[in-house]
Formats: sequence, C-alpha cells, structure tokens
Amino acid sequence: MRRYAARRVGALVVTLFFVSALVFVVVRVLPGDPAAIIMGTEGSREAADRLREAMGLNRPLVVQYVDWVSGALRGDLGRSLQYDLPVGQLIASRLSVTVPLALMAAVFMIAAAVPLGLYAATRHRRAGDYIAMVVSQVGISIPQFWAGLLLILVFSVTLGWVQSGGFEGWSSGVAAALRSLVLPAIALGLFQAAVLVRATRSAVLDVLREDYVRTARAKGLSERRVVGRHTLRNALIPIVTVAGVQLGQLLAGAIILESVFALPGLGRLALGAISARDLPVVQGVGLFIASTIVAINFAVDLAYGLLDPRIRYE
Amino acid sequence: MRRTVTLVVVLAIVLVAAASVPAQAPNRLIVQSQTEPPGLDMTATPATATSGVIFYNVQEALVKVDRHGKLVPWLAERWHTADNRNYTFFLKKGVRFHNGRELKAADVKYAFERAMNPETKHPYAKDYEAIGDIIVKDDYTVTFALKSVNASFLQNVARSGSVIYPREAVETMKSAPIGTGPFRFEEWVRGDRIVLVRNPDYYVKGLPKLERVTYRFITDPNAVLAALKAGDVDVSLFGLGPEHVQDVQKDPRFQVLVGDTTNDVILAMNNSRKPYSDVRVRRALTHGINKQDVLKGAMFGMGKILGTNVDPLNPYYVDMSNAMPYDPAKAKKLLAEAGYPNGFDTVLKVSPQYYYTVRSGEIITDNLKKIGVNVKIEQIEWGQWLSRVFREADYDLTIIGHAEAWDIKNYANPKYYFRYDSPKFQELFTKSEATVDDKARRDLYVQMQKLMVEDAPVVWLFMHPRLAVAKKGVQGLWKDLPVSAADLSEVSWAPAK
Repeated sequence: MRRYAARRVGALVVTLFFVSALVFVVVRVLPGDPAAIIMGTEGSREAADRLREAMGLNRPLVVQYVDWVSGALRGDLGRSLQYDLPVGQLIASRLSVTVPLALMAAVFMIAAAVPLGLYAATRHRRAGDYIAMVVSQVGISIPQFWAGLLLILVFSVTLGWVQSGGFEGWSSGVAAALRSLVLPAIALGLFQAAVLVRATRSAVLDVLREDYVRTARAKGLSERRVVGRHTLRNALIPIVTVAGVQLGQLLAGAIILESVFALPGLGRLALGAISARDLPVVQGVGLFIASTIVAINFAVDLAYGLLDPRIRYE
Repeated sequence: MRRTVTLVVVLAIVLVAAASVPAQAPNRLIVQSQTEPPGLDMTATPATATSGVIFYNVQEALVKVDRHGKLVPWLAERWHTADNRNYTFFLKKGVRFHNGRELKAADVKYAFERAMNPETKHPYAKDYEAIGDIIVKDDYTVTFALKSVNASFLQNVARSGSVIYPREAVETMKSAPIGTGPFRFEEWVRGDRIVLVRNPDYYVKGLPKLERVTYRFITDPNAVLAALKAGDVDVSLFGLGPEHVQDVQKDPRFQVLVGDTTNDVILAMNNSRKPYSDVRVRRALTHGINKQDVLKGAMFGMGKILGTNVDPLNPYYVDMSNAMPYDPAKAKKLLAEAGYPNGFDTVLKVSPQYYYTVRSGEIITDNLKKIGVNVKIEQIEWGQWLSRVFREADYDLTIIGHAEAWDIKNYANPKYYFRYDSPKFQELFTKSEATVDDKARRDLYVQMQKLMVEDAPVVWLFMHPRLAVAKKGVQGLWKDLPVSAADLSEVSWAPAK
C-alpha cells in the first residue's frame, strides 16, 4: 500500500511537470498579446509596446517559464494582470464558490442517480425501467445552459423563490450563499446524474446476474437486503469510477453555468482570463485544475480497496 | 426510496422558507454591466468597462463633456485663453478627494505630468504631447503652456485619462481608485460586483441622489434578461442586443432608452492590399452594400446610418448617409473599370465578441454577392483580432465599432489598420488641429467629410445606438452617450405614487 502510494505520488509530480509545461506553452502559443488586449482599439501602439515590455513578456520563454515554476514551487503563482491580485488568492476566493457548487451538484447527482439507476435495474424491461431510461435520456440531451435558463425562468422569474444569479458571498450568511447555489448545482448535476443513472443501472444489472445473488435469494433473504447489501456494494466499483471522473468534470465544467448564473467561480475566472490573456491566471488555474483531477483519480484508486477488500495495491 | 422522497420534500420546504428576494431600497441602484473592468485605473487602461464605472462617478477631470456633448466646467470652474496656446484653469475651491484632502493646483500638475511621462504607460500619452509646460500660479490656478495651437486640447483635458487623483493614492488606483466624484469606491468583489457609495462631501449640493450603486457583471444576455425580470437588477446599461430590447419594450415594468452614441460600426478595407488599394473598388463596395438592410438585419432597425466617421453627436456632423447610395449597377460598373468585371474573392475577418459584427457580415456577404464579390467570413477570437487585424493589418475586410469620440485622427494615421494614406486628408487634419476658430474648424471638418466620402477608405455602416433598459421609476439616466461613461450622479428613483 505504501509503495503504491509513493509510486502514485511520483507519477503525480511527473504529470504536474508536464501539465505545467503544456499550460505554459499553449497559453503563449495562442495568438493574442495581453498588452494589446488591455489597450484595446483605443490605446496607442506605443503604449501597448511599453506595457508589454513592463509586463516582462519580451523576455525569452525559457526564462519566463523557469521564473514561473520556481515561483509556483514557493507557492507564488504570480499576480493577475487584470485584477491586480495574487493568483493564489484569486483561485482561493473562487474556490469558495466552485467547490461548494461542485459538491452540491455531486450530492444532487448521487442522490438522484444511484436510487434511480438501482430502481431501473430492479425493474429491468418493465415500465419503471423504461421511464427511468427516458428521464435519463432527456437529462443527457438538455444542454446545461438551457437547463439553467429554464430553472431561472421557473424559480426566479415566475415563482420568485431564489435570485436569478450572482453570489453575495459567505459573509452574508450560509443560507443565503447556499440559496444562490441551488439552481446552478441542479443544472450542473443534471447531465452528470443522467449519465450516472445509466452507469448504475448497467453495473447493478451485471451483478444481479451473479450466482451469489441467486444464492442470496435462495437463502430467502428479502429483496431489499439482496439489492441493498449484496448487489449494490459489488456494483459500486464501476459506479465510483464513473462518479470520480464526473466529479472532476463538475469542477472543471462549471464554466457555462457560472456565466449563466453570473457566479464568481473558477470556471468564469479561467474563461475571463483566457479572453483577456491574463497569462498568470490562465497558467495558475490550469495547473490547479489539473492537479485536482489527478488528486481525485488518486482518491478513487484508494477507494477501490475500501470497497472491495480483494483489491490489493502492489 | 421513501426516505429519499422525505428528504427531497424537507429540502424543498427549507428552501422555500429561506427564499425571499430582498426588496430594493429606493435610494439604491443595481446596475448590470456586461464586462468586468480590467483594472480600475483609467490612466492605465482605455477600457470602456473601466470608464463606464469610474469616470464621472468616482473620478473627475477639469472639463466635462455633458449629456448634450458640450464642454462645460467641472473641477475647473472656468478657464481662459487669450492666444489659444496658454490655457489657465481656475479650480473650484473646497473640492475634496475621498481621502479628505483638498484638491489643489499641484495635483493637476502632477496628474498631467504623470500622463505625459512614457514610463507610466498612459494609454493616451500622445494626447498630451502638445503640452509644453504646466505652471502652478497658486493653489487654485494652473496654466498649461502648449508648444503649438492645439484645437483638441480641451477635448483631451476632458478625457477619462485626464482625471485628477491624489498622488498619495497612485499605487492603489488599479484596485481602489480615489477621486473627487459624487461616489466613493467601496469594494470590488472580483468576478461579481463593484460597489460605490455616496460621497457625503460632494461639492455639488444635493448630488448624488443615490446612496449606493452596485455594478453586477452579467455577460450572458439571457441571464441579463432574467435578472431584470426577476427584479435582481434595476438597470442594464450595455449588454442587451436589439432583439432583447424589443422583448422588454412590451413589458410595462420597464423603460427602454434608445439614444445616440459615438460608436461607429464600419466595414474596414485594407487600403494597402489589392484590390482595395484601388479607390474604384472601395467605392464599388460602398455602393454595393445596402446599409438599410444591414441596419434592419443586425440591429432591428435601431441606430442611424452613417456616411462618414463623424457621428451625429459631433458638432461638425454633416449628414452624408446618402452621399453614396446603394446602387449595385454602379458598383458593378466601377468594378469593371478597376479590372474586375467578374468580381473577386475576399475574406472578412470578424470577432464574435461583438454580436453585430457577424450579423452585419452575413448581410454584407449577401449584398456583395450580387456584384460578384464573394466574401468568405472567418470568425476569430477577440485577442487574435487585435493582434492580427488591428495591429498587423493582416486582413482584407473586417467589421468593428469604434466607440471613441473625435477619432477622425485615425484616418490621418497611415499606420492605422485601415492603411489609408492620403496626404490631402492628413494635411486637412493637421490644419484642423491647429485651427481654433469654430467656423474655420467646422469648414475643415466639412472638407474632411467630403474627402472621406470620395476616397471611401472604409464603408461606414451605422451608428450603434445606446440601448439601455431600466425599471420604471429610475430617472435621470443619460439618453445619448457623447462620451464612454455612465454618469449616475443625477439618477434617482421617482417617488412612489
């Protein structure tokens, strides 16, 4: 176990090195100059040239990269060009929106998908199964931004229950903050839930065909016990794999919904930084998201051992 | 299963109980803003997203462009010039910065000298080149000695880059600007909002009328509409297109302001590239485009058709919108004369950052097909557009709006991305800059507008209208926008009936 963990941490470091180089190069290969964007169509060319020089963008790429990586190792990701704040601080403040949003979406996703998938599997090829599959198909087909707008239309514009967007911040109270995240979390989790319903259903169906399930039934166990105890636990491995990948997607994929709901999250920070060519921010966010996804995958691998004692890490 | 249902029901009840849309106090205003400013320092960025929040509200200049486009006293209560080279400004007394210190003539000298210093990377440093010396006569009198007569001097003093700020607050201007304006900057929650609060010491009695203004950044137009209809936002200044405005116009809860701006939307042609180096081809394109169609298709008919760069808010505006009417037969004839009887293929590069560019491009493509010009539309991202088209002039055709007022100087700059190089025009412009007499200057502007029509360096399509939506009851907003700013000092809520 320990050797396995050490190996994985080593792989993580190598992955992050490649990601950092990739992010750095891609951002700089993109046509578009941050100084030109800041000056827009109204500032003069000379002013843009002076600004470019002052931002240190005329230095050789390698020098800039070494500068950035050595800063990052010390925990300094640089300073945002447009926000005039340290990148680390910006990411941290955006995480206070994106992490709760992703977690709420994940809770919604699991709470909706696992029971529904289980239900569909136990009603295999009966009306309940077909209804569940149609529901999940609809969930997969609805684009996220559209789901978001529909939710706003119903719950904000028509019913007036929650605000249409924006985020007051945690300082204005936990209830208020959670309230502004409910609709986006549902819209965000909807697609992933629909995917997870199908994964759960097929995983459970596979297990239901196993001999030990037949044995359990033969022993005279109640159906609830058969499904809850003997089936679900064994079906969890593929479900957790899919859910782990989805958690990463929830974190990185909130960009569209953060725009629809005007939330100051990580996705919108990244999007804004890309169009403004706020290089330190794009690099910082890229590195952060990549490390998070790698870390989630690591956690998923470790979770296998807990779910299935037969799995050994050697 | 039953437990899940119970959980969902409980969750729903908690949500409903917790939910209540906060009512807006009548002295507060929530303004939707489409783009978040790239920093709040107007001496470092020319972004309209910045001036839209800070200019007029937080920071002020010596001279002001008022809501009718006229130059009026501001921090200077009056000014005087005997020879059009030495301008003396007499400052208002008792004007205090938001940090409590009184504004004095030395602050004016400091702000302009800093703007002129290339080290500070001021976006408009060129506009202050005419200034030779700044002499502080006493605490409330300052004289600008110009190197030569400069007719744009007062205009330049009224720009967003010419605001006066305390020197002790220079370092924090990018994130917490201090000025003399009717509102004090309170906070900027990155990615969400900027909050301004009333300046209780404002030197104009009775202003501002609002206690608090919150700018919320909402980019998606559908989200803006939803926020308006849900009552989360009181005013949308930019960000709604004409198609949305039509929807809101039918709603009795809102008022729609459609006004003039200085934003000229043009089809630029690369004058240094074949075939656009031939004036006959440029004229052919002008005759080949039905601007009415473009305005109808791209803007639902809102806005005004333009004939030259000079927009209707400019005092020297001459209506040239019909000088080169839509005439495909004439266009074809001109193309044949230029050696393109069968037309040619060309590429139109547009950035979807601005919705009107792609829409206008589609109509223009259709128009030009009828005269044999086959346009291929290539959409590129804004950063790329700025680098490739605007900086490097690597393009045939492009569409963009130029929002700056008094930007005729761009046509006198052969390095500008139009690559329009007319010594005659440059001479007229230089003369106009040195002519202070209003009648003589107007005459030069009329000549420049005529020459523009003749040379057709670009096709001026239409003036982008100001499209603002506000809740009924919001009063005092500017209808026209002769300057890129949103003056909220006189805005208030009508008393409830």
